[in-house]
Amino acid sequence: MKPARAVTPWLYLAPALLVFGVAVLLPMVFTVGYSFAEWDGFGPMTFIGLDNYLEAATDPIFRDSFVHVCVYIMATLLLEVIVGLLLAGIVSAVAGRLWFRVAIFTPVMLPMVVVAVLWSFVYNPDFGLVNATLDAIGLEGLQRVWLGDPATALAAVSVVSGWVYAGFYMMIFYAAFLQIPHEVLEAARLDGAGEWAIFRLIKVPMIRSAVWVAILLCVTGGFQGFDLFFVLTNGGPYGATEIPTTYLVKTVFRNGDVGYGSAMAVILTAIVLAVGLAYSRLSSRQRGGTASPEVAARDVMDAGPPLVDRLVVPEEAT
Amino acid sequence: MIARRLPMLLMSAALLGLAFVFFFPMVWMVMSSFKTNSAIFSAPFALPESIDLSRWTEAWTVGNLGQYALNSAIVTIASVALILLLGAAAAFALSRYRFTGRTLVLSLFALGLILPLQSYFIAQSTMFVRLGITDTRVALILPYTAMGLSLAVYLLKVYLDALPEELFDAARIDGASDRQVFMSLALPLLRPGLATVGIFSALAAWNEFLLALLYIQDDSLKTIPTGLLAFSTRYVTDYSLLFSALSIVTIPMILIYVVFNRHIVEGITAGSVK
Repeated sequence: MKPARAVTPWLYLAPALLVFGVAVLLPMVFTVGYSFAEWDGFGPMTFIGLDNYLEAATDPIFRDSFVHVCVYIMATLLLEVIVGLLLAGIVSAVAGRLWFRVAIFTPVMLPMVVVAVLWSFVYNPDFGLVNATLDAIGLEGLQRVWLGDPATALAAVSVVSGWVYAGFYMMIFYAAFLQIPHEVLEAARLDGAGEWAIFRLIKVPMIRSAVWVAILLCVTGGFQGFDLFFVLTNGGPYGATEIPTTYLVKTVFRNGDVGYGSAMAVILTAIVLAVGLAYSRLSSRQRGGTASPEVAARDVMDAGPPLVDRLVVPEEAT
Repeated sequence: MIARRLPMLLMSAALLGLAFVFFFPMVWMVMSSFKTNSAIFSAPFALPESIDLSRWTEAWTVGNLGQYALNSAIVTIASVALILLLGAAAAFALSRYRFTGRTLVLSLFALGLILPLQSYFIAQSTMFVRLGITDTRVALILPYTAMGLSLAVYLLKVYLDALPEELFDAARIDGASDRQVFMSLALPLLRPGLATVGIFSALAAWNEFLLALLYIQDDSLKTIPTGLLAFSTRYVTDYSLLFSALSIVTIPMILIYVVFNRHIVEGITAGSVK
């Protein structure tokens, strides 16, 4: 490391800091500012203290939107993380099968809007795959207007999310499983342990940190989900799939209530950062260090060990 | 022998079945794009009578898909180029120099790794409206670049930190200037990291939806996600046309993915950590 002329490093930093500052940091500070004001985005701005936050605390739609997003997050923890873990267990127990991993990961590539439009057809009550399948196997009684029925809409959206991301978590866990020393698994097999027991008692506990990172990604990502909800239901039917992000976009860009929308955005941000911070506390206590955004970020980078090994040690350097 | 191989065969069959069910929505999408609307309704599972690409060409021409794809390409290429260049320069400064304020800058970029879009997009949109840059490509390139920078700076710094200090010392002893060290030594050595960051940033820009929805109303500037959504509301009941448009958007991406799957999987999983 070079303690050179004081100005040199700043010349290299300036363009990135300028773009990041103008497009992210400055608007973030302003959003916090708006949250204490009554403002339609054009006219005069009135400072109203904490009124927007008080409104959020008593707004039943906002409260329900949190219930919905929590249900959604629970569903995706099951459909994405648990299913991903099971799939990774299967593909790591039966060597090879690259084609399977490639196939299951495919939807992660696609724009969420494309996925959403496709699944709006899969759920179509007249010709959609779901109802057609039920019809074909003689279960016509279970047919529903999946996205139009408040009882099933949230679950229907969650399933699409699972379809996309199960493959993503499978890859993360598969990469972690590859890091487990062969001798450990061989020893267990010699002792007569079955594949399921090895998976449950050895493999999963040994990739505990990857599982925690996956949970962190799934929870923080869940709070920020928007595209699927916007295209499939936009909060409907009868508000059954309204989540904080869809509600605050409506509040700001349809109702022109920038102040209240900003307050909701700040609350949502605080929750996401709190989850991230709680995670970094937890993981730094395990390794006896101190908590900081950098620790959290580094842990996240450390999630898929083989991936990161390839990342952290560039080929040319070894 | 057969008894030993049977479980493996069963497992293969089970995985094949699972992958088929999983993949079926996309197979059905392509099948339906070759059918008439009435055939889509009357026999959802039936194979198409013929491979008829006429609706594909129709979707491409009436649906403006070529324009959307071009817009996505321009926005993506510009954003990725800026992310790589600015990110590498910043990572170079943070990895190779010790100076006051270094820790603060590092934590700002680290904060960007976990900061949700919701924390800044409201004020960003009022700012862009006031600057008069909505309905221009800059309104997408600027935020996409900013959003990608955190990961780029962080990852590329990790790469640079792993390079031996002696390499840089040797270059300096040979009289290389800071700029030469950056351009001719750091950048070439960073290639694998640039590839990972590039793949992740390219997919993020190509697929981004919310900001594109807010900032671009002009149809001739829309990217694929917002363009496809506009298309689907314009031709809301012409299912065979919509299935064709979905197929046109999806199939090239799947082909690219199948060819470069290892790099892409690595890029997405390493990058999504954000």
